[in-house]
Amino acid sequence: MSAAFTYAPLIVALPFLSFLIALAAGLADRDVLPKGGAIPGILATLGSLALSAWVALTVAGGAVFDETIYEWAVAAGVESQLELSFGLLLDPLSAMMLVIVCLVATLVHVFSLGYMNDEGETGLPRYYAGLGLFTASMLGFVVSDNLLQSFVFFELVGLCSYLLIGFHFREPGPPSAAKKAFLVTRFGDYFFLVGLVGIVATFGTAQFGGAESFPHVAELVLAGEASVRTFGFAPETWFTILGLLVLGGVIGKSAQFPLHTWLPDAMEGPTPVSALIHAATMVAAGVFLVARMYGFYAVSPTALAIVALVGGFTALFAATMGLVKRELKQVLAYSTISQYGYMMLALGTGGYVAATFHLLTHAFFKALLFLGAGSVIIAMHHNENMWDMGGLRKRMPVTYATFLVGSLALAGIVPFAGFWSKDEVLYEALIHGLGTEGSLGTVFLAAYAMGLLAVLFTGFYTFRMVALTFHGEPRTDLAADPESVGWNVKGPLSVLGLLAATTGFLNLAPVKKLTGAKVDFLHQWLEGPEGAALMATLSAKHYKHLLHDVNPAQVTASELGPLLPAALSLGLAITGALVAFRLYATPEPTEHTAKLGGLQDVLYNNYYQDEYQVWLATNVVQPLAGVADTVDQSLVDGVVNGVSSVSLSSGSRIRRIQTGVVSNYAALVTLGLTALLVAFGLYEGWLL
Amino acid sequence: MAVPVQWYLLLSAAMFCIGVFGVLTRRNALLFLMSVELMLNAANINLVAFARLWGNLTGQVFSLFTMALAAAEVAVGIGIILVLYRNFSDVDVTRATTMRW
Repeated sequence: MSAAFTYAPLIVALPFLSFLIALAAGLADRDVLPKGGAIPGILATLGSLALSAWVALTVAGGAVFDETIYEWAVAAGVESQLELSFGLLLDPLSAMMLVIVCLVATLVHVFSLGYMNDEGETGLPRYYAGLGLFTASMLGFVVSDNLLQSFVFFELVGLCSYLLIGFHFREPGPPSAAKKAFLVTRFGDYFFLVGLVGIVATFGTAQFGGAESFPHVAELVLAGEASVRTFGFAPETWFTILGLLVLGGVIGKSAQFPLHTWLPDAMEGPTPVSALIHAATMVAAGVFLVARMYGFYAVSPTALAIVALVGGFTALFAATMGLVKRELKQVLAYSTISQYGYMMLALGTGGYVAATFHLLTHAFFKALLFLGAGSVIIAMHHNENMWDMGGLRKRMPVTYATFLVGSLALAGIVPFAGFWSKDEVLYEALIHGLGTEGSLGTVFLAAYAMGLLAVLFTGFYTFRMVALTFHGEPRTDLAADPESVGWNVKGPLSVLGLLAATTGFLNLAPVKKLTGAKVDFLHQWLEGPEGAALMATLSAKHYKHLLHDVNPAQVTASELGPLLPAALSLGLAITGALVAFRLYATPEPTEHTAKLGGLQDVLYNNYYQDEYQVWLATNVVQPLAGVADTVDQSLVDGVVNGVSSVSLSSGSRIRRIQTGVVSNYAALVTLGLTALLVAFGLYEGWLL
Repeated sequence: MAVPVQWYLLLSAAMFCIGVFGVLTRRNALLFLMSVELMLNAANINLVAFARLWGNLTGQVFSLFTMALAAAEVAVGIGIILVLYRNFSDVDVTRATTMRW
């Protein structure tokens, strides 16, 4: 075993330690730590980053790792025994994700120095404790080697987001946004929990990797080489049900339709937290989970179709809502939902590598955009309305340059990172849609069409945001004289700007198709090191085999060249961007979307999603709960209360025979004895 | 000529019934105590009568035990009656009704 793997548990432990330190500092005294507890956090995430990089290098060197670290419960069954454990699974996918999470977390910690400390926020130890625990839970989630451990950390991530979104708990907005985020994601997690129990009950294991893992056993069952208890369903149906139940948790966490409503509200949290939630933790957790157990989804056509449709629809749906928002962070929030929709689209259409690639690039450019927005918000003294900005380009050049890079990446303009990953997502959707026969191919094509249309909207809202914020003339005094930001803001921005511009070159799959040069590094990375036994069930190659040979719908890629689809999506993105620029990058922009009339109201109110969900809650769920309450109060409690009141009243009557007069007792004893004697006599037959 | 055992039984039953009657009807605690003695001795008569019938002394030995027990019981009973008198200035058992519901 390589030395890197020995130290790998520290990747999770270090941020947890910083959490404990910040917590102790917060409990002890306000000023016991310099910088409100930021220093331990930064050091811990830096340490984790170094260790993650070491692990990634080791994995690149051909070693993978899957070991149980701690077994916390063993249940002996009739046929086999069930082990509940914590373990580490370090393969190319988790190693890559570790680096992303650690890097973004480190930069967010540094940025917080500028956004929180320099702005004179109070309660900083609490903030840094939350960040530390958030990072630790996400890292624990990433290295999980079984679904149960994933679930535990999944919930911890949800808890931390609740704590951090509600950081400014004295204001009215954040606590309610935090509650909403927690409840909506919990709603999804409920399905996840049921699915988890189902998987453990079916397979007797929740391991992700290896020959005994549940995706692999499912594959064997479908191939007819093994059998499991499927509770009366056909194996295909049952695995689809289980996959969809787990998908419930994914939809909640990754803010997919219809459980996306918590995410825009979560903008109430401090901006660095938003960056962390959207780029590397929380929201990423959902998509990562699907990628982690992709072997389980790859064999079920129905599950794939639903993932693809949910993804494609969410991508389009969220993009339209982003078109009309007035607040900077709101636009970014909807772009996040939309981009995670793309990842789900890729996963659903068999583009495992494409989804992972988009997860990687999106982490960098979305963190960049959020930190850039944070920088703008500092400059604007926490006014987030884009209509109060304008002309910030000349006054904040570093922020502008990096934000522009992020926006180009988000819109998918060549050669920035987002172009390569989004193009691959759409390309994979298209070729699998064309190549697969039957209804699954049609579903893929429909999802592709929605994703493609969303590209146009993405270009538009992204550059509307850039133009309104940075171009034109300042529309308020604040924008004319923004507050300057320090190194701790510009530093992380520059690092992320560089990454957002360049990470696309990690995976130039179209270039490889055209020229044959082996530049699709991420593909090679996810194929896994040659010869590692573990990778037999976890590699991209294996997933391709599952999609094509085990999946009854036989997902197949067509031979379409990459140039035309790429040109199509790039053209749409540029069109959207140019239109937005033409409309809004003027000295005195007006609200052009007002011309949409009623449609704008619909979009601005998010298609009344919140309203209908509240309506569902008050008009359907609440009456149902009322009925249940009535049944509980009258029937269930009625029986219990009845028993007690009967015994109470009969007790209060019967106790009257305790008169306190000894003669009465004597009489009762005598009568009782006589009655007994008579009864026995009659019964035994010697009396009569 | 020996008296048949039935006569002893009748005597014993009569004594027992007199005792029960006393317990049920009397209000004076001392008469209570005497009635209880009557019932105990009714039992003693039974024991002795059967001991004689079967020629087995165990019953007679038992009746001796019962007498000793009765003496002890009377001591306790008298004590109770004294306390009764102290608290209620009377030995009427129907007046001491504080220990009720």
